[in-house]
Amino acid sequence: MSTLTTSLNILAFLGLSPLFEAIIRKVSARVQARQGPPLVQPYLDLLKLLGRENIDSAGTWPFRLAPLIALASILTVVAVLPLAGRESAFTAQADTITLVYLLTLGGVSVLLGAFASRNPYALIGASREMITMILVEPVLAMVLLLGALKAGSLDLMSALYGAIRPGYGIAVVVMLAVYLLGLQAFVARQPFDIAEAEVEILGGPFIEYSGPNFALFKYYLMIKQMFYAYLPVAIFVPLPRSGFYGVDLLVQLALTGLVFILIGLLAATHPRFRIDQAIRYYAVLFVLAVLALGLSLSGF
Amino acid sequence: MKEQLQERLRHHCTAEGLTLDRADPRQWFVDGPRERVRDFAAAMVTEGARYVVSMGYDEIARNGTLGLVHSFAFDREGLFLHFRTNAPAADPSFESITPDIPNAGWSEREYMDLLGLKFSGHPKPKRLVLADDWPEGIYPLRKEVPHDLVPPAAEDVAYQLEQGPPGTTTIPIGPYHPCLHEPEHFAVYVDGETIKGCDYRGFMTHRGIEKLCTTAVSYNEVPYIAERICGICGTVHATAYSQAVERAAGIRIPRRAEFIRTMMLEIERIHSHLLWLGVAGHLIGFDTVFMQAWRVREQIMWLCERLTGNRKTYGMVQIGGVRRDVTPEIREDILGVIGQVEKELLVIRKAIQNDSSIHRRTKGVGTLSHEEAVRWSLVGPVARARGVDIDVRRDHPYAAYDEVRFEVPVFTGCDAWSTLQVRMIETFEAIRIIRQVLEKMPGGPILFEFQDPIAPGLHAMSAVEAPRGESTHYIITGENNRAERWRVRAPTYPNLQAVPLMLLDEQFADFPIIVGSIDPCFSCTDRVGVVNARSGGYSVMTRFELEALGRRKGESV
Repeated sequence: MSTLTTSLNILAFLGLSPLFEAIIRKVSARVQARQGPPLVQPYLDLLKLLGRENIDSAGTWPFRLAPLIALASILTVVAVLPLAGRESAFTAQADTITLVYLLTLGGVSVLLGAFASRNPYALIGASREMITMILVEPVLAMVLLLGALKAGSLDLMSALYGAIRPGYGIAVVVMLAVYLLGLQAFVARQPFDIAEAEVEILGGPFIEYSGPNFALFKYYLMIKQMFYAYLPVAIFVPLPRSGFYGVDLLVQLALTGLVFILIGLLAATHPRFRIDQAIRYYAVLFVLAVLALGLSLSGF
Repeated sequence: MKEQLQERLRHHCTAEGLTLDRADPRQWFVDGPRERVRDFAAAMVTEGARYVVSMGYDEIARNGTLGLVHSFAFDREGLFLHFRTNAPAADPSFESITPDIPNAGWSEREYMDLLGLKFSGHPKPKRLVLADDWPEGIYPLRKEVPHDLVPPAAEDVAYQLEQGPPGTTTIPIGPYHPCLHEPEHFAVYVDGETIKGCDYRGFMTHRGIEKLCTTAVSYNEVPYIAERICGICGTVHATAYSQAVERAAGIRIPRRAEFIRTMMLEIERIHSHLLWLGVAGHLIGFDTVFMQAWRVREQIMWLCERLTGNRKTYGMVQIGGVRRDVTPEIREDILGVIGQVEKELLVIRKAIQNDSSIHRRTKGVGTLSHEEAVRWSLVGPVARARGVDIDVRRDHPYAAYDEVRFEVPVFTGCDAWSTLQVRMIETFEAIRIIRQVLEKMPGGPILFEFQDPIAPGLHAMSAVEAPRGESTHYIITGENNRAERWRVRAPTYPNLQAVPLMLLDEQFADFPIIVGSIDPCFSCTDRVGVVNARSGGYSVMTRFELEALGRRKGESV
């Protein structure tokens, strides 16, 4: 049974993350008075890339392994995730620290690939990615800690579903605001697509990747994006508890879709920040997140 | 004011023993020996002149010399001043004026390459125009070199870029890079994310249009080739060339033709500024501005197709007038379209003015002081954003600009945001000009057909305010119904030279918008036509069906 839920987790993320990507593209297209690509386009993109030649431009193992590690780490995150309030087979084996660690591992493998490719654009992208990780990952950790502190346990069920029990306090509201303000940074979309910045550094860390390896990175990014869009739904929206697991799951996924519409709208209405401007922005988020934790500990 | 300056100039020429030709009250020619070049140029700068461009030409067949012209503008007084000099072909050396006038650097390098002139004291006598494998000692603009000469290609030659300052990393931008829309190369030296310097190698698409048009074709064909110098502001070049020939030959064109030229130039300005606005949005990562600006612009493109048969490269201007008249129906059409564009542009302007994130990415970015802008002889919106109040349309009126009223926006922010504001206001002013043109346009013929041959050896320059700034065309009439020499200077030519200064100590992430803020048109600078891939092959749909399909899709959104 629990093996089944784990497979369901992975299948849901593998199957739906390109669809959610398509929602972002469709929403931005509408804002820009365009038709936008059909909803199947991200699936086709992945298929196309998977069928292309893999150009191993750096010729080193770190370069070849990086996309695999990235995808593997994010799939592990998905596998331990208690989806729609139900534990998967591996949820008990992991806790909040593991989750943050696995997410960071994904980011580190992007850096690994970028540094291994030795392309100047990739190096600039990697240094920007590194700064972003150092400042944004702690914010994420604090969001997860909110529930963990309330329940007094680092296990994932309390981290994900414990924050709003017994109810909303000021701390939860502040943390929700922090999450929404940081949303574009978590998913690396405009105004925070600084590490990829097409017109400056041509995709940054991924510039030397092509074919299947690039497809793996793309898939990694889409799944990561879906994880970050699902997270606020799990943490800040109460579960319907309809008694049917399927209904709960569908409601949560529909809400995730709404988060994606928000991502698309924000991306289409903001120019890209410069990294120095972004650092100041992240610093404010960090302080706010600390404040929320403090409030929570003082019982608000 | 004007009389005082003229008096001083006359006095200066007499005192220095220089010949002054004042036949045309709007442009004077000074002839003098080559030893006087630098002194004269320095004196003109002291007088407050703006350096325009230099031109070298081959007069070996006539008198065994190579000629050189330095052109200056007195914008407030509406006067161009050309200093002509020459040197024997055996020793074609001049003193460089670049130490005093930094913007002359490229002009002088260009004639080192193309004519074999030598400039003593030039701070950077490197190759500028010619390909890296072009053999030494062949100077393509000399009359002895045929226009279709193809020297054998050489292997393993490359331009030696400058060394960056110590401790910096070199980031190559170009020849192919998403923030450059034409092939050029910048080597950007960065320390972390801060730009510490840059070297530029351009002219990668130089095809020798000037040479072609002075050897292979005749006067009347050149406007259509000139129009292809630039894929965006073609009418500017066709008009500037035609005006130069008309001015040299003393041709007066019908007033209605001048009004139609004015209208086409302003329609072109609207399309060009909207194009720039979109590109600027894209360069700061704001694609919504890009898409919306281009959606609004598309109406202008369709209007031009109805007006001239073409979205761009209108083929309207020819020597002596224009080729198509404005009918009452098309007049209504134009008024309708510009009204709609104005309405939609007001919405975009409001959105941009109130968007703090756009301010963050453009304010204080690409700064260059007013003094530097004057010293570097910048033109167009780039200069007007730095408090330099110049506009050829007002200062040296041509076509029908003397009869229309318009504002010349001048800002003092000295950054990318100010250039955006200048261009935004100019677009509204262009709409205002078109309305006045349609209202005041007199009747009558649209073309003066000249029959008499044009005498050789006449000099004239004409300037047109392109969307990017002043475009100048200098012509020397010749034998065989074609020009002896034709020198095009697009506005990017002076503006691009100041870009390394704008980039200094800026953030690398701002590179695209800083280069973009001058609205660079590299191919204009290289003087080539944009080559379109020939359509054809196996297509099921005709071109019209495809277009109709594309437009239906566009309208349904």
